[in-house]
Amino acid sequence: MASYTYTPTPDQGAKAGVLAYLVISAVVLLLMMLFGLLMRMEQAQFISIGGLWFYKLLTLHGAGMVGIVALAGAAVMWHFLGQYVQLTQGIFMANLVLFLTGVVMILGSVLVGDFHAGWTFLFPLPGTSMGLWSQGAAASFMGGLLVIGVGFVLLHLDIARAIIKRYGGLGRGLGWPQLFGPDDGNAPPPAVVASTMVTIVNLIGLVVGASILVMMLVNLYVPTFEIDALLAKGMIYFFGHVFINAVIYMAVIAVYEILPRYTQRPWKSNKVFLASWTASTIMVMFIFPHHLLMDYAFPKWFLIMGHIIGYLNTFPILIVTGYGAMMIVYRSGIRWDMCSRLLFVSLFGWAVGAMPAFIDGTITVNYVMHNTLWVPGHFHTYLILGMVAMVFGFMYYLGKPDENAKDSPIDVAAFWGFVIGTMGFTMSFLYGGKEGAARRYAEHLPNWVPYDRLGSIFAMLLIASVLVFIFRFLGRLGLARRDYQRASLARSMAT
Amino acid sequence: MSSHMLVQMPLLAVIGIVACRMLPVRLQDSILVKVGGSVPCVMVALFASSYWMLPRALDAALNDPLAELAKFLSLPLLVGFPLVLAWRRLTLIGRGFVWTNFISMLAVLGWLYIVAPVRVCNSYLVNDQESAGWYMVIISVLIFLWWLGTLMVGGGMGPDKHDSSGSGTTLA
Repeated sequence: MASYTYTPTPDQGAKAGVLAYLVISAVVLLLMMLFGLLMRMEQAQFISIGGLWFYKLLTLHGAGMVGIVALAGAAVMWHFLGQYVQLTQGIFMANLVLFLTGVVMILGSVLVGDFHAGWTFLFPLPGTSMGLWSQGAAASFMGGLLVIGVGFVLLHLDIARAIIKRYGGLGRGLGWPQLFGPDDGNAPPPAVVASTMVTIVNLIGLVVGASILVMMLVNLYVPTFEIDALLAKGMIYFFGHVFINAVIYMAVIAVYEILPRYTQRPWKSNKVFLASWTASTIMVMFIFPHHLLMDYAFPKWFLIMGHIIGYLNTFPILIVTGYGAMMIVYRSGIRWDMCSRLLFVSLFGWAVGAMPAFIDGTITVNYVMHNTLWVPGHFHTYLILGMVAMVFGFMYYLGKPDENAKDSPIDVAAFWGFVIGTMGFTMSFLYGGKEGAARRYAEHLPNWVPYDRLGSIFAMLLIASVLVFIFRFLGRLGLARRDYQRASLARSMAT
Repeated sequence: MSSHMLVQMPLLAVIGIVACRMLPVRLQDSILVKVGGSVPCVMVALFASSYWMLPRALDAALNDPLAELAKFLSLPLLVGFPLVLAWRRLTLIGRGFVWTNFISMLAVLGWLYIVAPVRVCNSYLVNDQESAGWYMVIISVLIFLWWLGTLMVGGGMGPDKHDSSGSGTTLA
């Protein structure tokens, strides 16, 4: 039986590349939040931007948020994984350049070319615009996604290379020798296990995504090359769902790495932990059909698989991580600050945010709820209060002036503003969904409008809080590069 | 069509692979230096193999003896041979790029053959074209799974990995 003890490791500052990722992520995240607020205010009838701008913003908000949280997640993963394996700075920066190139193509497509088919670019919509956007605009959008995908393939290939070089294979990166054999206590640390899982699933997802994007580009210019619309939807959702799932698995590395520094207790890569990550490596690739349950033309077994795996995949990593965090914190004498607060609340956000998806993954519920605001309620909860909270926690960690630094009341107020704003904002989605408010509608029925208004107000509170987080991080960029003790030691340790 | 594209042509590339591997390592190294390193070799292999994926190239090979000769020379010399030369120097990133590019291209080409509204090769029937497309999609999926499998057990690392054969030319 392996024994686990905490080995203190120095708190390393971030490399310039990581900070570039985080600064861009923070700015774009804020911009996308503002786009989201505008859409919510349009539905709430506070403003009137019209249908065209609503759908243009919806397209930008969807694609932009998926991309930017992936970029932020990659920064967290790269920072901590780089402390165990040797990663390539050039590839990391190449990914950023390709990402920005893709973003410019997408922005051009939407803002100049009026493309507004949604981030899902579902076939045959991009090619059948009925004159609302040009072929070039659709090609620029899909080409932009393709360029961003190429960057992430390169990043993951580099991560795979580094893990294989250090540990001898991706199977070893997942800790299979310890999982399937005796646990000698030498399993890779959680950061490596999570990065391995993300690399495997994203490589598969991105290759599938690239294939459908290229096929749709061919179809765009030579429409006689017809694509099976159902197959296209399946491939798009496979790629999209794997990619957006992976972002939280990247960001959770911050929890695994930082919370133990506060409590001086190890995050154990034990058999249960390793089993949950291996199980999710497989299941995360088969969970996407829960978005396709209304497509009755899919084979029945496919939809049933989505239902069952949707149920199963909700729990392993979430429970192991949530329970692990509680065990690390329980009676540890942890001294709460902005970083530890945000990281701890992120697990609450993840857990709470997963539940609406769990419910929506039930076929009979899905028929009624899936095309309502219930689904945006789910992913906004788990992304904002889960994934994004992890990223802001990481930013506070990097910028903390010293281990005993006190948080200003503004930061604490922003924390509560963030939590309450997100809860109110997402509850307005969930409750609107329960009342039957359709998703992706620019105009809402009068009885849906009160929820939209409440949602807009909470969204303003959320954005105001995020502004504090971002300005605090930007103001402390100079500190973020230095190596020094950041985590406040638990009271029992700090004698 | 399937045997032409998926048996004969890959075997021609394999001839180039085997021929290159039979050369002494020192000679391989000196050729690699003379041709400018691994990147030009990969590019030549990519472009040459892409050309032979075009339907009209298949037609030409069947109808024109010169094109047939070009196929028999170019696939071993411009695809198999340079790929092996470059392979020893490529890291997992380079190899992964080649594999993911090849797999995506094979899958997409297969898909195009399946859904093509016309007969793309004059020399083959539509059902030949469709079955060749399906084979390409299936083969691309199998290659992808095999490649991922090699990563799981630690193969395909690239030049940093010790190769028991001494030549360092494992294919993954």
